[in-house]
Amino acid sequence: MNSKERSTISVGARELSLSNLDKVLWPRDGYTKGDLIAYYRSVASCAVAHLKDRPLTLQRYPNGIDGETFFEKQMPRGMPEWVERVTVPTPGGSRSEVTFPLCNDEPSLVYFVNLAAIVLHVWTSRIAALDEPEFVLFDLDPGEKCTLRTLATVTLAIRALLAEIGLKPLVKTTGGYGFHVVVPLAAGYSYETAKVFAEIVARHAAAELGELATLQRTIAKRPQTAVYIDFVQVGLGKTIVAPYSVRARDGAPVSTPLHWAEVEASARRRSAIAPADEFAKLTIRTLPGRVAREGDLWWPKAWKKQRLEGASAKANRLWTERG
Amino acid sequence: MAHAIWSGAINFGLVTIPVKLFTAVKTDDLSFNMLHKKDEGRIKYERICSVDGKPVPWDEIVKGYEYEKGQYVLLTDEDFAKVNPEATQSVDIVEFVELDKISPMFFDKPYYLEPTKQGRHAYALLREALADSNRVAVARVVIRTKEYIAAVKPIGDALVLELMHWASEIVASDTLDLPGAEKLPEKEMQMARMLIDTMSVDEFEPQKFSNNYHDQLLTMIEARAAGKELPKAKKAPARSKVVNLMDVLAQSLEASKKRRSGGNGKPAEAKRRKKTAA
Repeated sequence: MNSKERSTISVGARELSLSNLDKVLWPRDGYTKGDLIAYYRSVASCAVAHLKDRPLTLQRYPNGIDGETFFEKQMPRGMPEWVERVTVPTPGGSRSEVTFPLCNDEPSLVYFVNLAAIVLHVWTSRIAALDEPEFVLFDLDPGEKCTLRTLATVTLAIRALLAEIGLKPLVKTTGGYGFHVVVPLAAGYSYETAKVFAEIVARHAAAELGELATLQRTIAKRPQTAVYIDFVQVGLGKTIVAPYSVRARDGAPVSTPLHWAEVEASARRRSAIAPADEFAKLTIRTLPGRVAREGDLWWPKAWKKQRLEGASAKANRLWTERG
Repeated sequence: MAHAIWSGAINFGLVTIPVKLFTAVKTDDLSFNMLHKKDEGRIKYERICSVDGKPVPWDEIVKGYEYEKGQYVLLTDEDFAKVNPEATQSVDIVEFVELDKISPMFFDKPYYLEPTKQGRHAYALLREALADSNRVAVARVVIRTKEYIAAVKPIGDALVLELMHWASEIVASDTLDLPGAEKLPEKEMQMARMLIDTMSVDEFEPQKFSNNYHDQLLTMIEARAAGKELPKAKKAPARSKVVNLMDVLAQSLEASKKRRSGGNGKPAEAKRRKKTAA
């Protein structure tokens, strides 16, 4: 174990005592916990906008990305009083309620990252209405031999289908291999609605895309060159890797909101590039510059809350008559 | 309830409680018969005498203990009863002890005890007294020809007789190569504790755990019995599925609309607590 060096910094109005800032979390890149904290601070205003008021799950890597990891699905022990929290009833769970931390400001963010929480997972709803997801989610996960081009083509096809029924989705990298496509929702829709709607779009997309896409949940049965369209990741208590969250992989890639033009450019790429190689450019090293230049591509301007009634009626008309 | 597998009495001091013994645990194991592959005939066992080579009826069979190679002492049921005649029909309580003083490794198999009509009052008395004093009874029991030690425990409304292992049957763990409690790094201990905390539950709910092997085997057997092949995952045609989903979505949207217009549904409750440092 390293020596327990502590240093005190002030973040906003808070004094935080941070530990082991020199601890290397990415052994092949040499990035330390200090580097991770510096990254999160540089994008804090964007990151917090997406984390705010959402029950948070920390994925901690106390011994770096090669060491063991655990998901902390509740408030960490010894969490300072000033970090906000929310107590959620868990019907059917083994405990009657669970208290989750909330990341509502930069000092809280720094506190969490100091616990070696590399990946931040959040609910799709906020505490004002925990049973109403704020977006429809498509998690697009390329198979092992799927190219960036195929992934981008499938992603654009889903965007086109959504556009056909009047919806404007947003896109980000997952930070891993794939894309998250989301349709921001107006208030008042249930998880059930969001999920069934996503399933309709996903099934229609899969039927249109043939071998490029699959809905097969068992990994071993998926064609390796296809994109898995996952539409089930929305539900009470289900989480998504937050925008600007870092992933525990070599190079420290970041889940990054993109311009649709960037996905279009990927779809035009000739050579067989693996998605992860392309996304390796979006890391804790490059993101601060990109965010300073581009701002947050998701929030607040681009985040247009949309209704599903009209879209559903159109989908019903357009997609069920053709067959 | 099933048939009693034994009836006798609990004796302690001058009190006798007539009781019957019932199975408390049944195994989920599926049992199979052995069949002759070509004609599915049941395989029968026969008891053949090694001297005259002929089948032997049960009433001509006795038990023998081989005290020396080829030399037997013969024992009859009466002989077994003679060894401890008083115990053959009873649960003889020897002492009482607090339950957690008995290592769980000693417990083998539980049975329910049910009182007969005359025994009901004394049964209730013993049960309540045990529960009050947080103790269990340790007793000697003989079932058929075998003697056991057993604990009598109050569990709910029942007295449970739990057969126990003899001390000589418990294998000591000191024959194994186990790590001692050397100094473990506090950080690692903290992490281990944190993991335990995260995975802890307030109540053990055994129904959460299901016996998958057993269930799948049974599904397969039921399918075969019905003359069907194994159920295969069906691939529904994508389009028709979409049509069905459209109805589901329409209903779901309708429900959301009712909620918004002040219907009965309310958003999931959450208590937000913002704490400010003093």
